[in-house]
Amino acid sequence: MTLDRAVTWVLRAWAGVVFTFVFIPIIFSLVFSFNSQRFPTIPLGEFSTQWYQTILADPDVWQAALTSIIVAVCTSVLATFLGFCTAYSDYRYNFRFKGAYLALILLPPTIPLIIMALAMLAWFSRIGASGEVWSIIAAHTVLTAPFAMAIIRLRLNQMDENLEAAAWNLGASEWATMRHVVLPFCKPAIISAACLCAAVSFDEFAIAWFVSGLNKTVPVVILEIVTGNIDPQVNAIGTFVFLTSMTLVVAAQLLFLARTARGTKQGAGT
Amino acid sequence: MSEPLLLFDNVVKRFGDFVAVKRMNLEIGKGEFIAIMGPSGCGKTTTLRMLAGLESPSEGEIRLDGRVMNNVKPHERDTPMVWQSLALFPFLNARENVEFGLKMRGLDAATRHQKALTWLDRLGMSEFAERDISTLSGGQKQRVALARSLVTEPQILLLDEPLSALDAHLVIRMQSVLTNLQRELGITFVYVTHSQSEAFAMADRVVIMSNGEVAQVGQPKDIYRAPANRFVAEFVGRNNIISGKVKSASKGKAVIDAPSGSYTVTADAMPKPGAEATFVISADLVRVTGSKPKAENAVAARLISEEFIGSVVTLFLESGDGTEFKVQVQERELATLDLKSAELLWLSWPAASAHLLPGG
Amino acid sequence: MNPPEKKSLDLYAMTWRLPVIVWQTIFFVGPLLFMVAMSFFVVKNYRMVEAFEFTNWEKMLGRGYFWDSYLLTLGLASLSTVVAMLIAFPAAYALAFKVSDSARRWAIFLLIIPFFTSYLVRTFSWYVILAESGVINAILGYVGLGPYTMLNTKFGTIVGYMTLTLPLVVILQTFALANIDTRLVEAAHNLGCKPFATVWRVVIPLAKTGLIIAALFCFILSFGDFVAPYYLGGSKPPTLPILIIDTTKSGQQWPRAAVVAIMMMVTLFAVAFAALTAAYHKRGRS
Repeated sequence: MTLDRAVTWVLRAWAGVVFTFVFIPIIFSLVFSFNSQRFPTIPLGEFSTQWYQTILADPDVWQAALTSIIVAVCTSVLATFLGFCTAYSDYRYNFRFKGAYLALILLPPTIPLIIMALAMLAWFSRIGASGEVWSIIAAHTVLTAPFAMAIIRLRLNQMDENLEAAAWNLGASEWATMRHVVLPFCKPAIISAACLCAAVSFDEFAIAWFVSGLNKTVPVVILEIVTGNIDPQVNAIGTFVFLTSMTLVVAAQLLFLARTARGTKQGAGT
Repeated sequence: MSEPLLLFDNVVKRFGDFVAVKRMNLEIGKGEFIAIMGPSGCGKTTTLRMLAGLESPSEGEIRLDGRVMNNVKPHERDTPMVWQSLALFPFLNARENVEFGLKMRGLDAATRHQKALTWLDRLGMSEFAERDISTLSGGQKQRVALARSLVTEPQILLLDEPLSALDAHLVIRMQSVLTNLQRELGITFVYVTHSQSEAFAMADRVVIMSNGEVAQVGQPKDIYRAPANRFVAEFVGRNNIISGKVKSASKGKAVIDAPSGSYTVTADAMPKPGAEATFVISADLVRVTGSKPKAENAVAARLISEEFIGSVVTLFLESGDGTEFKVQVQERELATLDLKSAELLWLSWPAASAHLLPGG
Repeated sequence: MNPPEKKSLDLYAMTWRLPVIVWQTIFFVGPLLFMVAMSFFVVKNYRMVEAFEFTNWEKMLGRGYFWDSYLLTLGLASLSTVVAMLIAFPAAYALAFKVSDSARRWAIFLLIIPFFTSYLVRTFSWYVILAESGVINAILGYVGLGPYTMLNTKFGTIVGYMTLTLPLVVILQTFALANIDTRLVEAAHNLGCKPFATVWRVVIPLAKTGLIIAALFCFILSFGDFVAPYYLGGSKPPTLPILIIDTTKSGQQWPRAAVVAIMMMVTLFAVAFAALTAAYHKRGRS
């Protein structure tokens, strides 16, 4: 079976190559951000924090960061709300045209961003809302709500099918049941979904670029710097964006794990 | 029976074309322990869900204490239920679960707390009050579920196969917990189960359902000894069901010719000679002997197999024409018989032990 | 598990059902339908006028450069799909069958990270690495090779597409492979099927649905991406997404951009339909 072992190692090595390819740009971006050269190459220049100083001194970057945070927070609240509503409707009810209803929320991620961007740009100008911060929020909500819906729907799948009925049975109205049973049960998934939606919104550039006008978000600033010239500021901004997104993703992951640990579907015995 | 607390008046429940409950009429008294039993899909759970308001009847009326309940929402009635899956709230601890119903009724925190602890204590769970549900055993969860349903002091408790997920030894323990509770509280229990032993062990009356219809209502021993029809006789099990033609009928006794022989049966209503008739004889009322006994009914049969359940043994036998017989005997009784497979044995019973099914 | 069916309007149910209908109608269906309508508008004196004319369609579809772009984009996206599927497969195979469960979970987690790092920053990183005087050519220079031109070539574009799609393709392929019934693979081995034949004739057919979906996602992402062909591929000639940007941003010809977008959508629908039909098609022979 030596051939078998050899094949195994070749396959693993190949996987290693693929991972290297995937992580090269991320690692190099980090390295370049601390590198003094304007056009980084081998051998590397000196260690320098000049790019960080440049961006931290740039009011445009601060303004963009603020816009990005506002957009990400509002998007995550709205998208999670819509995602929850849809996930709950899907879990609880059967109704006519349910397929179309679900398609309505699930389809946006399958449409190329550039097309969404053009459609949103045209639509928002038509209704007189081009260049507004809330147009970016509305567009990002459409884009991220399906992710929230998927995460919360998975959580609802773990709910005992009689849990709501048990609450009604104990005197809780449907509204009280929502507040005291369904929402507490879904809480980990809701927070998890909010984190992911914020992270996706924080990174999105195509729609934001088309729709934002003067209210640029961080990715739009990056896009404009990259289009202009070679400027390692981008790497420094990228590092910040990376840290923000990863914090959100790790938070979401931890909650995802925590929710499987506590209170999944429980039966009468073991 | 005391005055009815609960009344089913011509209740029909349809789901689309499927009729889950067909014209049910039933009275349940105050303080009664009633078991609704039947195979899966017989309509027993639908009946219970209608009581809880989770389904509303398509026709007819359900009245609780004289009040028509058809369109009363689940949360507006006081009919707590113990669920098969228990449906405890996993994000609350044991005490908070018990408090839930009180909280929904707007009681203040201190009263809720005190009542919940009283009930947990009553069910022997006081030391587990602050424990997470997921850390409790099956039996402990069961007690929390019971406390949660009883804490609002309802006049009726609904139970949907609550013991089906427990180990056999726990089932027996919980059965006595339930019967004692029911007697102490004096409230009505409506207990849905597919288990004959649970129903017969606990209930004052048993309702047997089949295909959405009530097949028989009665005390356990009546149902056991005098099944109303073939379905009940078969469902209750451990019965020998013998069909034949009535040969003669007089003076409270009927003689029935069946393929395996001719049998005498006592009967209240005399069947007409020549009519089809079916009677049952419980497996535990049949005597087994090695030689032909002096008895009103006797049939020779060969032993096919035997099944030990503790001290009771069930023998499966076959008569000359191929009719199967079941006989239940005590294990120590069996010792006096020298059993060998294929040996010819004699089965016998008095005419009074057999029960003639009404309507053939 | 529903409470009694209600004939009248159920306020509670509608509270949860309606928000998404309203929101998505205004901000998803609305924009898309408006874009379709816009493709019939006309632009006069740099202002868009609502009309119903086929001018934009005739102008765009009647010109060679649109079809050049169209075929180029189709070709690049197809090439990207083939390359990504081929590169990803051995890696996904290793992750699905040749590593421990915990290693697989970690690998999947690592592959999710790129989704949350800026794609623009990663592309910019490649730009610097692949440049004439960049990292790769510097290293090759030490051994006396190069410099090679990698930027503004199809190679550059494909590197960009891979940056975008490869993590997702590996994840989807790994799920597709890990979900197949390994007993069937063992059975094939026991029946004397050679390893490579087993992969080709047993593993791939069993994982077919998942593999096709991975390829479809790769195609959709590559087809709609403007970053890789623009920054790494030099955008000469432009791909359709770049055409949309150019037409929109310079010249205010939104209606013509809409024509391009609709052509892209139609193409994607056709590809998705074909792919999903193939993915869920039950094979006639066993």
